[in-house]
Amino acid sequence: MLNKKRKERHIWIDIIITLLALELMAYFYYGMKALMLGGVCIAVSLAAELITLRLLHRKFTADDLTCTSDGLITALMMPAAISLRIPAIACVFAVIAAKNIFGGRHNMIFSPAAAAYLFVLTSWKDQLLSCPQPYDKMGIFEKAENVSYSASYIFNNTGKFSASDYEILLGSFAGPMGAVCILLLLVSAAVLIFRKDISIGAFAGTIFGTAFMAYVCPVISDRIASVKYVLVTNMILFAAIYIISDMRIAPQKNYYAFFYGLFIAVSAYIVMLTTGKENVIVIMSVLFTPLALAFRSLEKKIDTAAHLEALEAAEAENASETGAAASETENVSVNEEENEVSAEEALSAESDSPEAEPEKSDVSDAETTEEAQENTADEAPEGDESNEKV
Amino acid sequence: MFLINELISLLAANMILTRALGTSTLFIASGSRKNLVATASVITLFTTCGSAAAYLINYLSGGKYSNFILLFYTLAVGIIYIILLALFYLFFRQGFDKVRKYIHLSAFNCAVMGTLFTISESSSNSAEGMSLGDFLFYGFESGAGFVLAALILSAAFGRLNSSRVPSSFRGFPAMLVYLGIISMAVYSLK
Amino acid sequence: MKRSENRLTSGLFADNTVLSACMVISPAIMCGDTIKNAIALIYVFTAITLPSVLIASFVPKRLPYAVKIIIYAVISSLIYIPVKILAENYYPESIARIGIYFPLIAVNSLIVYQTEAKFFRMKRTKMIGSLIFYVFGFDAVMLITGFIRELFAYGTINSRMVDMNTVISGLGKPFGGFIFLGLMCGIYRKIRSMIPEKKVRSDVNVSD
Repeated sequence: MLNKKRKERHIWIDIIITLLALELMAYFYYGMKALMLGGVCIAVSLAAELITLRLLHRKFTADDLTCTSDGLITALMMPAAISLRIPAIACVFAVIAAKNIFGGRHNMIFSPAAAAYLFVLTSWKDQLLSCPQPYDKMGIFEKAENVSYSASYIFNNTGKFSASDYEILLGSFAGPMGAVCILLLLVSAAVLIFRKDISIGAFAGTIFGTAFMAYVCPVISDRIASVKYVLVTNMILFAAIYIISDMRIAPQKNYYAFFYGLFIAVSAYIVMLTTGKENVIVIMSVLFTPLALAFRSLEKKIDTAAHLEALEAAEAENASETGAAASETENVSVNEEENEVSAEEALSAESDSPEAEPEKSDVSDAETTEEAQENTADEAPEGDESNEKV
Repeated sequence: MFLINELISLLAANMILTRALGTSTLFIASGSRKNLVATASVITLFTTCGSAAAYLINYLSGGKYSNFILLFYTLAVGIIYIILLALFYLFFRQGFDKVRKYIHLSAFNCAVMGTLFTISESSSNSAEGMSLGDFLFYGFESGAGFVLAALILSAAFGRLNSSRVPSSFRGFPAMLVYLGIISMAVYSLK
Repeated sequence: MKRSENRLTSGLFADNTVLSACMVISPAIMCGDTIKNAIALIYVFTAITLPSVLIASFVPKRLPYAVKIIIYAVISSLIYIPVKILAENYYPESIARIGIYFPLIAVNSLIVYQTEAKFFRMKRTKMIGSLIFYVFGFDAVMLITGFIRELFAYGTINSRMVDMNTVISGLGKPFGGFIFLGLMCGIYRKIRSMIPEKKVRSDVNVSD
């Protein structure tokens, strides 16, 4: 239990470090406004979390600090030119409506940051999709002088992408302030995968699905260039790391998580290709939430079935051993006189008799149950759901 | 690609996620697999047959008597209701007691009545009008949309009713918010 | 005496049509985004539900359930006709905006299904009193919903501009209705649970 808590905190620390690196890069490109956006989102998320937990009579613990990483993810998905009020309202929505109403971090259904993004997209679409150019630095309350369509929008609708490979790696093109620095995102992905902080399966599924679709149905005639540009635009990499591979939401087993990521990527690509909409992957990650929940429920059923099967097998083994012991005892007693079996042999046979068996069987059962419970608890961080009535 | 596009268009035209029709019935249907299958089947039956009846009513009334259209639709659904009950009673007497509650639940439901009005509205808005086949297709599609929404809700039903959800929000309020966020995602795709 | 009074007024708060019983929520979600729409819905709901249930109470109870349900729906469909004609004169814009939800209110579950389960088990005078409070309960929720959603979604109160710096246009959309109604239900339950001796069931059956 203690390890589990530690692990949750470690994940949060790792994620927040990588996010802070992205925030720093955003500051480099857009100035104080980028820092302010991040700060406001963290502060509002924390305040909303504190207030709602208090209203729900729950204790605020260090694990509840995960709301700050959700706030920072939300901030990094915004363009630097956006009004400060909007991400602040979005963070309140994310913490209250997308998280704490469903039971908070113990019962996560949606990625709070993805829900916050959709909330902004549906209410302030123009502000969300108008991006300033890199190096267009802004003061805390200043507005951007020139805002334009993002590079993703232009690529989706015209197939043109003007940035060089060097600029792509450094994130020097118009887009959400934290989702374009590809080099940093790649390093973050490597670190988080190495530290097992994100779902490897979901990440691999998303990247593979997007790359595969971009190769098979390319946006531009050059297939390799299509794969390259598709992967670096539309927040694919950012969403693959921080939203789709979120351990709290993605299926636990990598096999299922891979397909979860793959479905999101393929459907997002098709929508992007047919409609030209940008950042569809975030929308799809919310739409595919029921799939993640279904996979998780399937995993639990499989675990339970496997556990029951193991128990049955153990019982059957015990029963056969008991049967063998009983028949042995019978043979011994029948042939006792004839074969003049020694008292020592008879005693040894008695020690395997059914009376001695239940204790052994109980212990083994208890051990197996405990092991299984531990495994289930480890695999499902949100805890046991067996008492839930469906 | 075609399948995914169809699925997305089914979501985008979904009567529950975009029009909130039949929401309370959905909450009941998604509670258990048995309820889901039975309610969804009966509602699909009602929307499909009802759409055919709506086509006939629209055809016969010729766009006049718009004030009486609800009465005509109500009578049509009432007749379908009786026919369905009679058919189940005659040919499926063993399971009649189990099935009839779903028929009662689905007959004068917002999902069914709303589908008929939506199709009629679409038909009157289109320049050439819609054929019987179109009416039947849209009626069936509405039923399929109900199934999809029920599946979306049933995937989270356990979590939305879990003891971890604050008691004030457990169940119906959490389901509304959940559907709202899914509906928000569907709206974003438009 | 007090208990019977409580039961009489239960439709207003304790057993609210929308927030507690989960009825007539489609029009509330779709059309309850402005005060004008809310008032039009209130008019339609009140004008159809009250006489429909009253007339339906004279339907013989011995008839089979399915036949009674159809008769109730037909009665409300008949009452819908004069109500619609009047509404087109008084609320032409709102009626156009409400669209298909106008006729749907006429076949709402309060009339079609709850009459059997709730109202016809009471004496007629008491039934009328209780019904009035149920209708008031719906009206109150619609007004509150319309007021808050209009203010935050469009920055207006009854179509008059208010000095709002930031409006959340999504609140006026169907998904905004879902989320807002969900939040409102939760707050309503919280308030109810704070009132002593009236604990809310934590696992409320949605089929209530």
